[in-house]
Amino acid sequence: MLNLFETMNISASGMTAQRARLDVIASNIANAETTRGHDNEPYRRKTVLFSEIIQNELLAPESAQSGMNLGGVRIVRIEEDQRPFRLVFDPSHPDADDTGYVQMPNVNVLKEMIDLINAQRSYEANASVVSATKAFATAALQIRGGG
Amino acid sequence: MQGFFNTNFSTLKMAMDASSVRHQVIAQNIANSETPNYKRLEVRFEDELKKHLHKKDLSLKTPHPKHISNHPQSLDHVSIQVSRVVETTITNDENNVDLDREMALMAYNTIRYQTLSRLMEANIGRYYTVMRGA
Repeated sequence: MLNLFETMNISASGMTAQRARLDVIASNIANAETTRGHDNEPYRRKTVLFSEIIQNELLAPESAQSGMNLGGVRIVRIEEDQRPFRLVFDPSHPDADDTGYVQMPNVNVLKEMIDLINAQRSYEANASVVSATKAFATAALQIRGGG
Repeated sequence: MQGFFNTNFSTLKMAMDASSVRHQVIAQNIANSETPNYKRLEVRFEDELKKHLHKKDLSLKTPHPKHISNHPQSLDHVSIQVSRVVETTITNDENNVDLDREMALMAYNTIRYQTLSRLMEANIGRYYTVMRGA
C-alpha cells in the first residue's frame, strides 16, 4: 500500500515538472517580442532542465525487490538559451540601433507551441498514472473474500 | 502462510507485488518521459516464475526429509528484477521512453492487478465457505 503512495508521489513530481515547464513556455510566448529584459538586452528564451530522482542505485537485486528507491523527476534549473537574438529591420522601433536593426528575443513561437503540446501530453499521461494507481488501491481494498 | 493456507496465497501475493512494482516503474518512466539521457526501467518477474514452476524435469528424488532437493518449494528464490534498458534511444536527447507504449503497458498491468486481486478474493472465499460449513 505504501508502495502505491510512493507511486502517486512519482506521478505528482512528473505533473509538477510539466507544470513548471508550462510556466516557462508561457513566459517565452508572452515575451516573444520583449526587447527590454535583463541587463539591457532583449528577453532570452528560457528552458527547463529535468533530471531523474533516484534515492540510491536501484539495480542491486536485493533492493529491487522493494522498488522503494524510485523518486520521479525534478527540475535541476531553468536555463537561458544562449543562441543569438533575431535581427529585425525596423528603423521606427525605439530600440533600433544606428543601422535600423532591432534585436528581438531568440524565441521561436512555433517551437514553443510544439513544446506546449508535449508538456500537455506528458501532464495528461502522469494524471492517467494517478488514476491507474487509484484503481490499484481500489482493487486491493476490495479483497475481503466471503462477502 | 505455509501450512494452513495453500500455496496460492504466496504465489498470488508475489504476482501482486510484481505488478505493483511494475506500476511504480511505469510511473517513473512516464514521469521521466522528457528527461534528457533517461533510460527506461523494466521489471522481469513472470519469466523467472515460469522458469521456477517448470523446473521439475530434472528434479532429484527426495524420499527422506533430510535429502537435499533441487527444486525449492518456496518462492523466495524468485525475485522481482528491475533493470534499465540502456541499449535503445528514441529521441535526440538520448531518452528511450515511448509514452504510448508505457500507457499500453500500464493499462495491461492494471487489468492484471485487478484480476489477481479477484483471484485472491476467491481464494480467501474458499476458507470462508469451509468455516461457515455451508
